[in-house]
Amino acid sequence: MKKRLLFGLVILIILVVIFSGMMLFKDKQYAWISISVAVLACVPFFLQFEKRNNDIKKLVLIAVMVSLSVISRIIFTPLPGFKPVTALVVITAMYFGSEAGFMTGALSAVISNFYFGQGPWTPFQMLIWGLIGFFGGVFAKRLLESKFDLAMYGVLSGIVFSSAMDTWSVLWVDGSFNVSRFLTTVIASSQFMIIYAVSNVIFLLLFSKPIGKFLDRIKTKFQL
Amino acid sequence: MKAFGNYHPATLMIYFISVLLVAMFVSNLVLQLLSLSGAILFSVMLQKRSEILGNIGFYIPLFLLIAITNPLFSHNGVTPLFFLNGNPVTFEAIIYGIAIAVMIVGVMIWFKCYGEIMSSDKFLYLFGKAIPKLSLVLSMAFRFIPLFKRQLQKVNKAQKALGLYSSKSFMDKLRSSSSVFMAMISWSLENSMDTSDSMKARGYGLKGRTTFTLFRLYSDDIVLMTLCVSLMAITFTGIATGLTDFHYYPYISNLNRSPSAIIIYIAFGTISFLPFVIEVKEALAWKYYISKI
Repeated sequence: MKKRLLFGLVILIILVVIFSGMMLFKDKQYAWISISVAVLACVPFFLQFEKRNNDIKKLVLIAVMVSLSVISRIIFTPLPGFKPVTALVVITAMYFGSEAGFMTGALSAVISNFYFGQGPWTPFQMLIWGLIGFFGGVFAKRLLESKFDLAMYGVLSGIVFSSAMDTWSVLWVDGSFNVSRFLTTVIASSQFMIIYAVSNVIFLLLFSKPIGKFLDRIKTKFQL
Repeated sequence: MKAFGNYHPATLMIYFISVLLVAMFVSNLVLQLLSLSGAILFSVMLQKRSEILGNIGFYIPLFLLIAITNPLFSHNGVTPLFFLNGNPVTFEAIIYGIAIAVMIVGVMIWFKCYGEIMSSDKFLYLFGKAIPKLSLVLSMAFRFIPLFKRQLQKVNKAQKALGLYSSKSFMDKLRSSSSVFMAMISWSLENSMDTSDSMKARGYGLKGRTTFTLFRLYSDDIVLMTLCVSLMAITFTGIATGLTDFHYYPYISNLNRSPSAIIIYIAFGTISFLPFVIEVKEALAWKYYISKI
């Protein structure tokens, strides 16, 4: 009973936040909705993670994968867009499941932005990288078996990541979906979209085997 | 100097959230200009002179780029100035371009100040109680990053001494850096498992364990928090009642100059300039005490 009440209360608060924001920020209501949805969509994943009785080893492992992906983003700063973050997130998800994947993705976004600068883009990066990790865990079996599927997943996540960012910036700037600005933004950032996709494929193919070997070893050695 | 940064993390978080809400989602030109100028003044106080110059070199071109390109995307508005490729370039679109440039640059500078003030320890302190496991993961990651970086340099040096990175081709570089990265990964995974064992041995997750923090809520914090919340309440009442409504299309609306609207502008202006004033006050006090010595 108490649980249900709490659940209802949370839903109520979410609705109140979104609607009062819509009333207040009439001109930017789409931007408001999208950013609140991005933040709120992460909440259930985080709560689930808090509730589950996870082993400390798993927590440490996620922390390690997050730090590695942040470091990889720092190492590759000279090459804009060319980063192994997505690849590391997907590999973690493939070996340790959707939850670990989501956490690695979302936390990598927050932490790396402590080094690269937070901004309105942080919630979106959190959600998108988190979801890339989540679905990487869902399709883990196929991704492990077929290199082609793995490469396709890399391409797809690059495209999704880039276009989500473009959609948000158009919604924020114009207050509505301005098609010509969206197209221009997509064209202007298409170079990045391609770099994302290509780097994801390269790093996934390059890293999935050797890192997978390490992770498998850790799994059996420490009984994760 | 970071006088503003000495406030309690909760106070700072409330402050930044309220400013950013207005800066990001309200399109009133006066409020936007207030937010931009408050952000610029604050960031000037926070940064070194060389950083400021670099920022000017980044933000002014960005501002111009956003402002100039807007008329190309939107042909709304009732006052065409001239035609470009058969499309009207309107006065309203130009003004709107400047307005969104003010907004975007303002928000970016506010986030820069946020990054400067809200360091990772404050962030963790704020969320540590609500999300204990996540914040444990976060704080471990914050510790691992510098540790791994140092280890990475060690491995790099050792590999170089063994003859890696000798050729200049891209594939070779990629191959050598990825083999260094691999060595890093295996080292960090094995090493971190020891950390978790030792945490378990010391009773992590048992009841009654407390964490150490340096932050205390002083009376100054309460004052600033109250001030911030009440000024924000005034601002949001103004926004909700339509006092600050402002639109650019199809024609630019008149600025509301009624006394009640001016109260809103003053309320938000006070919030926006607050950190700057606090920093200046602290800097003056510091100078004064030095001159006494």
